[in-house]
Amino acid sequence: MLSNNQESTRKAEINLRLAQFEFPPMQDVLLIGKRAPIGPEAARKMSDALSPDQYEIISLEHELFEAAVVRRALLKILPPEKLFPVILEEGTRIASENTVIKIQVNATIQVNKVVDL
Amino acid sequence: MITIGDIMIKDVVTISPAASVARAAELMEKFKVGGLPVIDGDKIIGIITSRDIRRAHQNRLVADAMTRKVVTAPPETSLWEAKELIEEHGVERLLVAKDGKLLGIVTKSLIYIESGKHIDPLTGLPRSEFLRHIALKLLQEGNEISVIFIDLDNFGTIDKEIGHESGDQVLKQVAKIFKDMVIEGSDYLCRYAGDEFALITTRPLEEAKKLCFRLLRSLTNHPWPNGTRLTASAGVAGGRRGHPRPGSKCCTVHELINLASLGSTQAKKENTPVVVVGQVEIAKDTTCTS
Repeated sequence: MLSNNQESTRKAEINLRLAQFEFPPMQDVLLIGKRAPIGPEAARKMSDALSPDQYEIISLEHELFEAAVVRRALLKILPPEKLFPVILEEGTRIASENTVIKIQVNATIQVNKVVDL
Repeated sequence: MITIGDIMIKDVVTISPAASVARAAELMEKFKVGGLPVIDGDKIIGIITSRDIRRAHQNRLVADAMTRKVVTAPPETSLWEAKELIEEHGVERLLVAKDGKLLGIVTKSLIYIESGKHIDPLTGLPRSEFLRHIALKLLQEGNEISVIFIDLDNFGTIDKEIGHESGDQVLKQVAKIFKDMVIEGSDYLCRYAGDEFALITTRPLEEAKKLCFRLLRSLTNHPWPNGTRLTASAGVAGGRRGHPRPGSKCCTVHELINLASLGSTQAKKENTPVVVVGQVEIAKDTTCTS
């Protein structure tokens, strides 16, 4: 039985974590799962609003992913036929149909030329 | 001819592609419908069905969950054409549209219920409405067609002699005999009215005449109960799309069937089994039955 003179207190503890908003939020590539909470049309609207003309939506015929949002500048360095086998292979290892995967791609072009002296 | 414009549901609940799947589910539940046409501006861009909703995340946009393949048809589409479209595309709904603008919707069940009204329950054969649809379709596909119109002789008397229940069994058997003798895909049989049967065929007129004689012979040769002797009179008319010859009358499908019907009446009067009316031209712009 509770004593009448027992005091009860209610307190709230507030924790803040501040970080800079990553802009644009999708980095280089977004792989959109077939049952993910956002679909290609939503991704297109988002990229058009946040970074107009910088991203391209590519529909995929894949077991897990239905589309990819790719930074256009990246496609100038790596054509889709070279880029997609790599990102899909890695994406498949960690993703499911329900997920959206954000991928950062660092591509370095190495050029060696021999010139006559 | 009954068209989908006559039977369509006009108050269609639609949804915008930017709405959420959750909202679509809410609307479907509220209005007790299984699909919502997706309209962007006044353009039909898809349809979202309960199946799409089951497969998609509730947070998704309708545009990301909808079925983009939409089967539309103008309001003048006949009931039979609509049935063919639904079956061909394997869809549950047909959107009725004109100039890209949504006018209504017809569901598979509605089409089946309506088309079922045009199936004779006694014989299982389609009724005359189907005959006109098939005639038009075959002509539009460039086929030459023949119409065989068969009228059972003195069936009223037979009905009185053996009773209406037994008379119905005779009609059922006649339909079965005819069905067994025609070729599916080129001969289209229907119960035109009480004791009248009609058949549209892509066989040339001469072949149609031969088939007609065979059909009538099979009736005469069948061992009918109670010693009933069953005969019939028939008219055969042929039609093809084209330009009527000088002096000849330009026909519609309706008139072509009528000619065959008059042929059967003439056959009865002349006490001859079959009267071949001949071949008529159906002008391209007069194939309408109405």
